Amino acid sequence: MGEVYRLTLRQLSGRWRLIMMTLLSSLPVIVAVLMLRSSSAPSVWEFESAVLSAMLNGAIAPLVVLAISAAAFSNEVEDRTLANLTLAPIPRWKIAVPKLLATISLAAPFIAVSAFLTAHVAFLGDTQATIAITVSSMVGVALYASAFVWLGLVTTQAIGIGLLYIVLWEGFFSGFVSGVRLLSIRHYAIALMHGLDERRFAPVSHPPLAIAIGLSVLVLGGFLLLAIRRLRRMDVP
Amino acid sequence: MSTVSTPVIRVDGVSRWFGSVVAVSDVTFDIGPGITGLLGPNGAGKTTLLRMMTGLAATSSGKITVFGQHVRDNPPLYRRLGVMSEHETVYGFMTGREFVSMMGRLRGVELLDNAVDHAIELVDMADAQHRPLDTYSRGMRQRMRLAATLVHGPDILFLDEPLNGADPRQRVHFKRLLQQLAAAGKTIVLSSHILEEVEELAETVLLIVNGKLAASGGFRAIRAALNQRPYHVRVVCDDPRRLAAGIVRLPSVDAVHMDPDGALVVLSRNVTDLQVELPRLAQAAAIRLRRVEPMDDSLESVFGYLVEG
Repeated sequence: MGEVYRLTLRQLSGRWRLIMMTLLSSLPVIVAVLMLRSSSAPSVWEFESAVLSAMLNGAIAPLVVLAISAAAFSNEVEDRTLANLTLAPIPRWKIAVPKLLATISLAAPFIAVSAFLTAHVAFLGDTQATIAITVSSMVGVALYASAFVWLGLVTTQAIGIGLLYIVLWEGFFSGFVSGVRLLSIRHYAIALMHGLDERRFAPVSHPPLAIAIGLSVLVLGGFLLLAIRRLRRMDVP
Repeated sequence: MSTVSTPVIRVDGVSRWFGSVVAVSDVTFDIGPGITGLLGPNGAGKTTLLRMMTGLAATSSGKITVFGQHVRDNPPLYRRLGVMSEHETVYGFMTGREFVSMMGRLRGVELLDNAVDHAIELVDMADAQHRPLDTYSRGMRQRMRLAATLVHGPDILFLDEPLNGADPRQRVHFKRLLQQLAAAGKTIVLSSHILEEVEELAETVLLIVNGKLAASGGFRAIRAALNQRPYHVRVVCDDPRRLAAGIVRLPSVDAVHMDPDGALVVLSRNVTDLQVELPRLAQAAAIRLRRVEPMDDSLESVFGYLVEG
């Protein structure tokens, strides 16, 4: 597994990708500073809705993860190097799991730093709120990663389809249609954040914590299983 | 159908279609140890067949077994396979040695350093092993890919158009290496669209045309069939009418006619003899031959003839 993990890290650590991820992940911090400096400071609910939910967990985190995770397999399918791995005498899960772990390892530090600084600035160093925001964002990264790793394996248009998903599903429908929130990674992350710091965040219409945790496990495990199944059944170019 | 007493690879009634396109149609053969050439024109279905034999692609119908086991989705079996595709499946950011090492680790090679040294020496790439693959020529990449294919000592080698990009010296080295491996009891399946390439290497030939097995067996039998096909040869000379009168009497010639531009088109089923008789005739008649060229010497026409025949 270590070999596939190391290979994936090297494949995905391109300079331009890292620069783009740095720029993207710095946006929530910049916006948080600007909002708090403005004459009419937002309420906790407004800040949560605009920055933590819509921006950090609904746009920046999935975009950063998409840039990495979709390429984990789709680049190998495109340049036909995937056969180097699938012809190795190892079970398919030993290919899919390290690929997923490598993409999480790459994306998580960017989002963790972004979430930590955003929370630290916005909540004036409140430890519990900072931990809640950072941990929930990390869970979001893992869930998005499992979905996009699978997507990169089933289509060569993973970036385009992923962008549509982020804009339409996570950004648009899940903001307006309450039922969709049960199938929204962004709202699982926000529900987890609420669960980790009930004192700071007002209870609003997100899935209950237990359901969000259960659905998160299902999403992570489900997409991972789908990726393994796909590796077993696909025609490798 | 080729039959081998103890087949290493058995392809049994295999077809593969992509939508309405049939890439491989009801192909059956066995392959045993030694070098087997998979010969056919571009687009004949060789690569699809090879991919199915390695488990990379599924069959639409029929079954393929390697050492008696299903090859598809059977990772433990892959320890015994070495596959080199026609595409340059390398990671440009790695050095040649890193690539071979990685392939060895993925295939569970023990004493990895020794195995990597040995594989790189086999392909004569020790001097360039620490350079990034991006800086290699195509032929060098091919050789390093072959080292990566050999590093775990596979029992079967699948090589798809392996001599692409190789210079003459590399070709000689490569052929010698394959012959050594075959002599050591390995099973080697070599795909190529170049007749001479397969002729030099393969003991057995599987001729694939339009997704079907057109012929199989020893190379001599295939070659004999190729030699008996009618060839059209275009002859340009300074006195075509007089030469035509002489040519029709040659035993190797079936027919002759004249093009509007004055060139002769000769139909022959024995080109080997024609190659001797025609210059002799021209010399005797003091006719200068300006150009003698086969009109249909492409592999496609050769294979087409065999399939129709």
